[in-house]
Amino acid sequence: MRIRTVALLLILFGMFGVLSLTYAQNAPEASEKGKQVYENSCAHCHGTEGRGDGSAAENLLPKPRDFTRGLYKIRSTGTGELPTDQDLFDIITEGMPGSSMPPWDTALSANDRWEVVAYIKTFYDGFKEAETPPKQINLSGKVPYSEQSVETGKALYTELGCVECHGNIGRGDGTSAPDLTDEWGFQSWPANLTQGWNFRGGADTEDIFKRFVGGLAGSAMPAFEGDSFPGFGLTAEESSRMIELDNKDEMTEAEEEESAQLYEKYDAAVDIALNLAEGTELSAEEKQIYDDAMKVVYEKSWHLANYVKSLMPEKRPEPAIGNNVLRSQYIHGELPEMDNAAWETLEARYFPLVGQIVIEPRQFNPTIDAVNVKSYYNDTEVAFLFVWDDRTHTTDETDEETGKTLEDALAVQFPAKVPQGPTAPKPYFLWGGRLPVYLWHWKASAPEQVTELTAKGVNNAEVQEAQGELKAQATYTEGQYKLWVKRALKTEDKKDLQLDPGVFVPIAFSAWDGANGDVDTKRVMTSWYTFVLEPVPSSKRFIYPPVIALLSVGFLFGLRAFVQRRNSEE
Amino acid sequence: MSLFTICLIILVGSWVFLRFVVGGIISVPIPGSVIAMYMGLIVIAILVHISVEDSLFREFRRPILETLVDDKRRLHRRVLVVLIPLLLLGYTYSIIAQRANPPGSPRDAHPSPPLELTYKDEVIGTMQDVVNPFRHYEKDDPEAFRAHVENGKRVYHHNCFYCHGDHLDGQGHFAPYLQPLPANFQDPGIIPNFQESFFFWRIAKGGPGLPAAGTPWDSAMPIWENTLTKDEIWDVILFLSDYTGYQFRTFGEAH
Ligand code: HEC
Ligand code: HEC
Ligand code: HEC
Repeated sequence: MRIRTVALLLILFGMFGVLSLTYAQNAPEASEKGKQVYENSCAHCHGTEGRGDGSAAENLLPKPRDFTRGLYKIRSTGTGELPTDQDLFDIITEGMPGSSMPPWDTALSANDRWEVVAYIKTFYDGFKEAETPPKQINLSGKVPYSEQSVETGKALYTELGCVECHGNIGRGDGTSAPDLTDEWGFQSWPANLTQGWNFRGGADTEDIFKRFVGGLAGSAMPAFEGDSFPGFGLTAEESSRMIELDNKDEMTEAEEEESAQLYEKYDAAVDIALNLAEGTELSAEEKQIYDDAMKVVYEKSWHLANYVKSLMPEKRPEPAIGNNVLRSQYIHGELPEMDNAAWETLEARYFPLVGQIVIEPRQFNPTIDAVNVKSYYNDTEVAFLFVWDDRTHTTDETDEETGKTLEDALAVQFPAKVPQGPTAPKPYFLWGGRLPVYLWHWKASAPEQVTELTAKGVNNAEVQEAQGELKAQATYTEGQYKLWVKRALKTEDKKDLQLDPGVFVPIAFSAWDGANGDVDTKRVMTSWYTFVLEPVPSSKRFIYPPVIALLSVGFLFGLRAFVQRRNSEE
Repeated sequence: MSLFTICLIILVGSWVFLRFVVGGIISVPIPGSVIAMYMGLIVIAILVHISVEDSLFREFRRPILETLVDDKRRLHRRVLVVLIPLLLLGYTYSIIAQRANPPGSPRDAHPSPPLELTYKDEVIGTMQDVVNPFRHYEKDDPEAFRAHVENGKRVYHHNCFYCHGDHLDGQGHFAPYLQPLPANFQDPGIIPNFQESFFFWRIAKGGPGLPAAGTPWDSAMPIWENTLTKDEIWDVILFLSDYTGYQFRTFGEAH
């Protein structure tokens, strides 16, 4: 009996110990070990002195964090606060998607990660001087996801000015997007909110909520808390009434009175918030007003977080590899034009783009995530729809360094001749080599035109003499390009690729974002993928299976008859 | 339990074992053709077993014959005469209507290198005999050795980590969407199996320098002899083994 009690207690204590280990933890004192880990694993990016100037930093954007300013993007804490130790531990463990900051979950033990948290804190005295622990953002009032919440959030998205940077529907194409710089003066592109997989701090609703409530310190993105909300201090009804009144051309006397009252209430609440920010003690009544106001703000913020969440797919699409290849669907008659609804019924294939870093000049910091492709064909022609996000529409800009003209563009690459069989050589994936590639080159400055090229290497591309009858249409709306291209399956030109149903054809892409300095080999690209004109399913599938089924019935009855006859003979 | 049922259980059991236990829990999925081969062997074994003695064979076929003619088994018979043709119908349809999938492209990740090691056009020596000119510092002059490793680390973080990763595990931030994937130097099957001269060759000539078996047209591994000096390549090789803790193979040593 006694032994059992002791054992039980031991187990309970053990569990408690484990729990407290996994629960929010504080870093140990900075030690020699932490320094060692840092110099081995982090210093080449973040610099020996923590200034973000390691030897690898030169080619990177966003730059590795400069730890000497105490500015951290990914925090669970409010505006102007330092991160908690747990925040630092988590970001080191998980890394920052969309940047070069890698996850360290497998390469460093949890212990080493805690040691290095303690060490990077020594680069900024603020950590030591802080008297109280940083104030964390309260996540308790989470509003569940619903259509209605998304609608409410959508209105706030415009009211709060997210639109100016992140664009009308979140593709990061707002009017101020090209001119943003971070604390250190480096270009800082607003996130494309439809691509949650590139968010530095994760794309759960809670993550999104924390990001704009607490702000991404050091980046161009401000924090949105408290009195930055329109109608601070008013209830939801009151603030929509205030906007309604503001938008009236003429107000009656009673309405003017009402509006003035609302403004008074709003101003009073803002004053309280300002006092609080300056450190003034609040009276009990003021505190009540402030707390009520913050409750409304937090609720609105959850709606906004739900709205942002609604803009992105569940997860990053699978790339078009394996059996997931690009299949052009056969249809009878005319191929659909660009804005035909027939395109909606096809599922796009996803081709992620990577920076071209094989040949100088290289692109280390890509801004285009991927190109999405659909295709239809009929007896004589094939049509493609290429769709990709680009924050800026650049048609003619001059690069300050090289004097070259920068513009947005896309190139679709095929081998000039389809390799026969899986082991036959393909051309080099980067615009060919010994074997030539056949290219469609489209530029934003001539949106209705696609040029056919033959290339034997990036610096050895020729415009074909015979330009076939390629039809093209293109649009740029809300940060997204759509390009529609149509070509005959068979052409007279010997340098063109000839297309036949059922043949697997290698396909690859290059894209240029002029505003990101892309020109010539400085671009984003893919290696070889596969494309096929999906053969019309054979009509044999309706003949053979029933025949075989009937035969099997016949066989079973025959067998039975045979056994019966033999039994009776015996 | 009748002999027939036992045989059926053995067959189905083996299939489940191969498909889900061996090819799922224990290891990666086994190709369909390999499973088919094992199943064929098992069928042959069963046939051999039941045909050694007449009595065994009679015992085996008894339930079949009963199902075919016995009045007691009428319900079984009706169910089977519907089920078997339906299964065949579905199976043949699924085979005929199946979409063609692209052929996989076989690739030799480590094809044999040329006999001679070159840097640009300059011949360094034969692949077998060339050694890293700075390797001997490891014993002779540890300080000079550290300097070379440090330089190799710098070269690596300037040029290679985008693809091969900070931990040298092939998981750089550009890596996930390259095919083939960048080499993983933390894999115990890579560094210990090659001489340093082999790595020099791969780094100097990159993907395009591979023979046809290595599908040189697919590899994103750049040609580094155009941007790195000979010494820098040797230094980065020192760094690769120093950081991972793996020793390169020296000539004559077994794998
Ligand atoms: C390949 C370069 C690289 C290496 C190696 C690297 N980092 Fe980073 N790190 C970055 C970049 C780039 C950022 C900034 C990303 C951004 O601002 O979007 C960053 C950001 C951070 C941040 C700031 C997170 C925030 O909330 O703002 C921390 C903390 C950090 N790194 C810690 C580490 C530690 C610890 C190590 C070593 C174990 C390490 N990093 C190794 C590139 C690197
Ligand atoms: C002044 C321009 C600006 C405004 C206004 C702005 N943002 Fe941002 N936002 C940015 C920039 C720049 C980034 C990228 C920061 C970085 O990682 O360097 C960003 C990033 C984000 C992210 C991604 C965070 C992550 O983990 O990577 C979210 C979510 C976001 N913003 C939401 C919002 C919402 C919601 C609003 C409106 C309340 C808003 N932003 C207003 C500039 C802005
Ligand atoms: C653009 C991405 C990229 C960069 C940058 C890159 N590599 Fe590679 N590397 C690859 C890929 C992909 C492979 C695998 C395909 C192959 O074997 O060619 C590879 C293979 C290798 C191999 C062959 C390993 C083996 O198992 O045979 C070595 C050695 C190598 N890389 C070293 C380096 C070094 C050193 C650098 C920097 C100077 C570097 N790589 C930079 C992509 C890259």
